[in-house]
Amino acid sequence: MNKILPYFLLLFTLSGPQKNSKQFIARQGQITFFSYTSVENIEANNNQVLSIFDSETNDIAVNMLMRAFVFKKDLMYEHFNESYIESDLYPKATFEGKIIDFDKNNTQIQTKIIRGKLTIHGISKQIDIKTTIEKTALGYTMSGEFNVAVSDFRIKIPPILANNIAKTISIKFRFQFQPYEE
Amino acid sequence: MKLKFYKSTIILFLLFLFVGIVLKGFIFKNSAKNLSNQTAIATLNSDELINSFTLNEKKSNSLYEGKVIEVTGKIKEISFLNDRITIILTNNNKTFGVICDMNPNQKEKIKKLSNNQKITVKGICKGYLKDVILLDCQLDFSANE
Repeated sequence: MNKILPYFLLLFTLSGPQKNSKQFIARQGQITFFSYTSVENIEANNNQVLSIFDSETNDIAVNMLMRAFVFKKDLMYEHFNESYIESDLYPKATFEGKIIDFDKNNTQIQTKIIRGKLTIHGISKQIDIKTTIEKTALGYTMSGEFNVAVSDFRIKIPPILANNIAKTISIKFRFQFQPYEE
Repeated sequence: MKLKFYKSTIILFLLFLFVGIVLKGFIFKNSAKNLSNQTAIATLNSDELINSFTLNEKKSNSLYEGKVIEVTGKIKEISFLNDRITIILTNNNKTFGVICDMNPNQKEKIKKLSNNQKITVKGICKGYLKDVILLDCQLDFSANE
């Protein structure tokens, strides 16, 4: 009996915590985008971005509602949803990717590349995003910043407004992941 | 006669200015909305709303998206992440919920709430990811008391 007991303990320690801490969820991820031009600065905020991250496979998926972006002015919101993003046709933007060389046991802040497919306005594009990952008491916090070209996603901007909207949009993100319980 | 002419132009000018300011206010109004005077197009509990979206997202979007709705549910969590006040409502359904992004003017009322309390929230429905998302939410106190 005494001989078997350590094996049992080993089995428990190996299977126990790992099973629980495999998937992480962020329901209230934050994404902010900026468009800086000499004419006007546009900023929009989405605080309800969903993301699920698997620390075993390093897969990460992000999903957001375009209409959940909040602008300073209603007219910006209208233009964004009706003319540029066409939210009736493409209500969501998604990202699916993998964190390269992620070390889940590292308690220090680590900077990694997430490689994956970003889909906006129905158009998908391969993209590399740099992120800082910080281990927290419950899960992870990932944040970072990257740029996206408006023309890559076939977003048409009328010539009259071309000076008001930047050619590249900078996007900031921050996700606080918690263990995902079914 | 000349004096009268000046007077009328000044009045006309002021009138135009006034109309302009009012119009500007309408077109470029701030998007921080106050829903207390708006009536909800639908009143339902959180399970009904979630089931509707999980069964047929397209139809539910056409019914509720962009509209003011009133949802009753149990508080699962109140969070202050990213300087926002968010209440997550659930009922019997544990995996899915309703994320209510509260209007900052509701802060005092929210302090009195606790987990598992049943509340009614009025907000603009934005759609569904894993949870249904409502923005600019207000607590409906007449229904809560």
